[in-house]
Parts: sequence; structure tokens; C-alpha cells
Amino acid sequence: MTDEKMRLILEVWRQDGPRAEGRFETHEITDATPEMSLLELLDRLNHKLVEEDVDPVAFESDCREGICGTCGLDVNGVPHGPEDNVPACGQHVRSFKSGDTVRFEPFRAKAFPVIRDLIVDRTGLDRIIQAGGTIAVDAGTAPDADTLQVTHDEAERALDFAGCIGCGACVAACPNGAAYLFTGAKLAHLALIPHGKQERAKRARSMVAQMEHEFGPCSQIGECALACPADIPLPAIAVVNRERIRAGFKRKAN
Amino acid sequence: MSSEITTRSGADQIPVARRPATTPPPRPQTWVLKVIMAATGSVFVAFLLFHLAGNLKVYLPDDPRLHFNEYAHWLRGLLNPLLPGETFLWLFRGALALCLVLHVYSGLTIWVRGRRARGHHSRSINGTRHHLIGRTMIFSGLIILAFIVFHLLDLTVGRGVESREFSSKATFTLPEGGSVTDAYANLVHSFERWPVAVFYVLVMLVVALHLSHGIWSIVNDFGGTAHRTRTVFLFLADVIALIVVVGNASIPIAVLTGGITL
Repeated sequence: MTDEKMRLILEVWRQDGPRAEGRFETHEITDATPEMSLLELLDRLNHKLVEEDVDPVAFESDCREGICGTCGLDVNGVPHGPEDNVPACGQHVRSFKSGDTVRFEPFRAKAFPVIRDLIVDRTGLDRIIQAGGTIAVDAGTAPDADTLQVTHDEAERALDFAGCIGCGACVAACPNGAAYLFTGAKLAHLALIPHGKQERAKRARSMVAQMEHEFGPCSQIGECALACPADIPLPAIAVVNRERIRAGFKRKAN
Repeated sequence: MSSEITTRSGADQIPVARRPATTPPPRPQTWVLKVIMAATGSVFVAFLLFHLAGNLKVYLPDDPRLHFNEYAHWLRGLLNPLLPGETFLWLFRGALALCLVLHVYSGLTIWVRGRRARGHHSRSINGTRHHLIGRTMIFSGLIILAFIVFHLLDLTVGRGVESREFSSKATFTLPEGGSVTDAYANLVHSFERWPVAVFYVLVMLVVALHLSHGIWSIVNDFGGTAHRTRTVFLFLADVIALIVVVGNASIPIAVLTGGITL
């Protein structure tokens, strides 16, 4: 532990409600420490604001250990913060120098309307899942061991894609506001496992249709995979078209 | 009571833009447009490579003028006598024009949808080279579209922007008799105008940028997820872009510097 104290200028987006005008507010934190997470920096700010009898900044967080996908905000215009592939809760003040300005903004995309301050409505992603990101086959009782065979490599690959925590950083990073990395991760993961394969084509049709309804097109720019805190690899975006083209040749659900 | 829940303080401010999952997506669906772009784009890549092969005949050591003009003449009568006269040429032009219309229409539609989905927010550049090229595909594409018009008027039709010496009349006599269009002379005369030569070189640089991102996009749009396929395409994208820019841009430069003369 260091006793080093850092002085940071915080520019924070304040917006009273979905229809209210937003604005940046500037605050100064004089006792930040390098090992603080960016969310703890906001906590520190909120303590200060409460002491000053000002409304604290509204932001979302839950587990604060990178597995829940609740936290999500733009830091200096980059989803989650300056480090690649790390959620906001895992980003630290040590990425900045004393005297730096840190600008906190909500995730920016048409599909993510601001609810208040740094909180956005990410239910557009939920609607993609509702459209088909689930397995709806009657699995019955547990089968005997080894009747459903999944190779180790397939299982690992499915797990890599299943790692998506649904935070929405891919959308906020994308110049087109596309949700391809998110949708592709779900489609890839469910297409690889036996129960998910049953509805592979049907899922691709409905999820892609819902995705296109609210989110933008992919232009293979690659910002999403740099922002993704779950390390979803860029080929996930190609999975969207692969699955949708495949579904175009299928009449059945699988 | 449900009424109490909906009237709790601030609840009326929660955004209510809940679009139900059953409403149809925008038509034509974006994934269809992307596949169309990839398919027509592949046609253009193949066309560019063949076009380049023909262009490079200007570098043949003995009598490039003869070889170039013979090749141009052969192109016009392709698939003779199966298809008479210039039938194939016009089928080919029709197919390319159709691809162009589809490519431009899809590109513009995708661009508009992307801008809408982002909303009125800026995006910072976080490092990938494809960020800048990918985001400017619409502009490089429109520049290339304008160039195609110029190029056709300059060296095919010969209207408006052609060189003073341009002639679509039969002016070059083949050794075995018969006379054909002197495409070689038209090319040299056109590039002897330095602003035109510079314009061609600059546009070729734009074409290279467009190709390096476009070819990489083809593998994504056709759903190529395998690591090796993607690595190969990423590499091919740059190699083809480089071949096209070096091969084509060298010709106006060679004309200006006296490397290619009549």
C-alpha cells in the first residue's frame, strides 16, 4: 500500500431523467489512491457529494469483481475505461496521473437511452435474449452419463462464448451501435452444445431479427472485442452471419 | 395494486420505448444487405485483378502497343463465335452495373442504419487500424464511384473528360490486317495530362484502403469464423490492396516520367 494521494478532476455526466437535458459536472477528488477502482473513485465522489448535501451520482454496480456485467460507463469516451478487456470495476485509478481529468459518461448508443446520470436502459439486450437466447427443449430426466457427448474442445469453445456478461460495452464501443459481439457470442455458445443445437436455425432467425430491430449493422471495425470485459473474440461477429445464412437454408428449427 | 406501482414517484420517467420482439426488423434485413455487399464486393475484387492483368500489358517488352490493343480487341469479342459480336461484353457490363447498383445501395443503407443506431454521440478511436478505414468506407466508396464515372468517360466513352487526342475510331492497324481502337494511345494521351495522372494515383490509394477493409469484411459477412480462414483473409486483404495500388498507380507515373510512350 502506498500513502500516495492523487488529485483527479472528475467530469461526470448528470441527467435527472430520461427526458431531461444532460450536462457535465466538474468535481475534484484530492485523496484518490492508485489502487482504487474507478467505481471506488465514484463512491468517493458520492461520499463527498452527500457530505455537501448534493444528490449522489447514480451509477450501476453489483459484484465489483467482473462477473456480473452490471457496471458499465464510458471513461474518457472508452467503454469501461482505458484498459482493454477489463470491466469498469476492475479498472484502477493507477491508469491516470495525478492532475488528470477523468470523464465519466453513460454508455452511448441509440439503443441505450439514459435513465439517470450514468445509468442506461440496456433492456434492448434482454429483448435479444427473449427472442431466442434460451433453450426451450424438454430435457426430461437426467440422461445416463456419456449419452450426450461433447468433446472437451467443443465444451471449452462454448464456454469461451458463454463468458459474455451482457454488459453492453460492445454496443457502446461500436461506431454503428451494433450488438453483433453480444448476439454472436450467444448464438455461438448455444449452437455448440447438444440441447442448444435443436433450435439453432430458429434461434438465429429470431435473435438476428430482434437485434436488427434496435441495434446497428456491423462494419468489422473491431472496437467491440477490445472493449469486451469477457474477452469474447472478434469471430463472434462472423458467427451472426454464419448462423443467419445457415438458417436461410433451413426450414426446420435446428 | 398495479396502479400504485405505475404511479410511484418517477416511474413515469422510465423510458417506455419497449419495442416488442414481434415487430418486423427493417427491410431489407441488414444481414441480407451485408451478404449482398460481400458477394458483389467479391465480384469487384475478381474484376479488379483481371483488369490489372490487362493493364500491365503496357509493360510488355516488345511492342506493348500491339499487345495492349490486341487484348482490348479480344475483350470486345469475347466468347465469339458462341455469342456474336459484343454480346458477351454487354452481358458482362450489365452484370457489373447490377453489382454496382446493389453494392452502392446496400452500402448507403447500412451506413444510414449505423449512424442512426449510434445516435448523436461521438466515438473515440481505441487503436485498431480498421477503425478509421472501416468508418470511412462510405466516403472511399463514393470517391471510387465518382472515379468509375470519370474513368468510363475518359477511356471508354470518350466524352467530356477525354484527352484531346482521344479517338474511338479505328486507328490502330493490326499486323495481320484489320484496324482496331488504339486504346494504348488513348491511355498514354490521357495520362500525359498531369492532373489526370495525379488523380488516378490518388484514387488508387483510396481503392487500396477500400479493398483492405472490404476483403477483410467479406470473410466476416460470409460467416467465416475459423481462425485460419480469417488470418488468410486478413493477409490477402492487404496483399491484394497492395498489388492493385502498385500495379495500377505505376502506369500514370510511368507515363509522366516517360517510361511509357507511344
